[in-house]
Amino acid sequence: MIYLDAAATTFQKPDTVYKTAISAMRTVSSPGRGGYSAAWKAAELSFRCREAAADLFKMESPEYVIFTFNATHGLNIAIKHFARPGKKAVISGYEHNSVLRPLRAVGAEIHVVSAPVFDTQKILDGFESSITSDTAVVVCNHVSNVFGFILPVEEIAHMCAERDVPFVLDASQSAGILNLNFHALKAAAVAMPGHKGLYGLQGSGLLLCSELLNPILEGGTGSDSMDSNMPLFLPDRLEAGTHNMPGIAGLSAGIRFVAAKTPETIQIHEKKLVQYTASSLLKMKGCYVFFDPTMQQQTGVLSFYHEHIPSEHIAAKLAERGIAVRAGLHCSPLAHKSAGTVEKGTVRVSFSAFNTQREVDIFLNAIENILRDEKRELFTKSSHDFVAI
Amino acid sequence: MVYYLMICRSLTYAQRAARTLERHGIAAIVTKAPQDVSENGCAYCVKVPEKRLSEALVALKNTELAPSKVFVLYSDGHYSEVQT
Repeated sequence: MIYLDAAATTFQKPDTVYKTAISAMRTVSSPGRGGYSAAWKAAELSFRCREAAADLFKMESPEYVIFTFNATHGLNIAIKHFARPGKKAVISGYEHNSVLRPLRAVGAEIHVVSAPVFDTQKILDGFESSITSDTAVVVCNHVSNVFGFILPVEEIAHMCAERDVPFVLDASQSAGILNLNFHALKAAAVAMPGHKGLYGLQGSGLLLCSELLNPILEGGTGSDSMDSNMPLFLPDRLEAGTHNMPGIAGLSAGIRFVAAKTPETIQIHEKKLVQYTASSLLKMKGCYVFFDPTMQQQTGVLSFYHEHIPSEHIAAKLAERGIAVRAGLHCSPLAHKSAGTVEKGTVRVSFSAFNTQREVDIFLNAIENILRDEKRELFTKSSHDFVAI
Repeated sequence: MVYYLMICRSLTYAQRAARTLERHGIAAIVTKAPQDVSENGCAYCVKVPEKRLSEALVALKNTELAPSKVFVLYSDGHYSEVQT
């Protein structure tokens, strides 16, 4: 299989991730749940993972690194802490349903800042006029999961800090790829998956926070057991129940892989593949490609659609050829509204550190063949229609 | 041999304290705190050798990791709180 769906999850992992996760299954139990060797190994492993994340994201203290099941889990914690029914929540027009749905569930008054793809200035102007003193929270993704559009989150975070409004960052598509300095950003919370740019296992994620947030899940923590309320300290307050230790072990190895390789190197590699892919797709008749030629505002995610062939059909034809991409709305109807692609959806190609130019060549060749076949079919259909008329 | 048990509010906090002490060259072991010294049940502590207590307390205070309580642990398993 040629896997070009890293924005959903990175399918290929570093060998150390597989090995560490399997080793954890065999050797560790649960941190804070016993005084025996397997429990202490689990405690050490989880602490090392927190330390590695704190180092990568420039955090002062590892206890503010919270283990979650995925980015959605972290976003739910942060959003449900800060958002209030009837109070204003400002978001970008590129948010995933993992932001939109929790805000809707809380009953927040959602204010969407829309702008065309790659129009950074319009995004900034929109946030500038929308963030007011009565704003309960601002939530923004670092990178659009549909278009790879890098949003100006440093500037948005600065606006929030100036106005004393909590800023929540969805780093689902940027963690491990773009430099993320938690200390400098001054965000209230940053949510990220462990299984995308950090190359961990599905079912793992991190929430970085700067203050004590309210839990959305209560239960055992291995601490303050006599108290029927959740502990008033992190990470325990937000980590009820047994930890996903193989996931944490894999995530720890994934973070070390990223730190050793550096996010910059991974980003350069992915951007080169996007440029290479886009330059060929742009030459194909009927293809509309969302591409920033400067690559200043785009990561390793590329969306396109064909004016006549449905996106899902292209993805299905690619799947028949053993090529994995994702088509449709990508759980981000807001992004498609902003780009004007709600009707057609897009075909999304997204790269990881493990993809190669050869794989892209095979993908491009497959697309050419699909377009040629479909064009022939379209021509045949229209000829029949003509005859029928 | 006599040790001191420095009570920490959480496992992660105890691990941070132990890391800090290790960086100062002080051997520190994270263990579960005895039930009757943990006020709220299930707590953790950092165990340090008798001779390194004052040095350890300074290191932890300087990094805002001062323990909530300190107990002396005698070789026969008994322990008692000490004022720091």
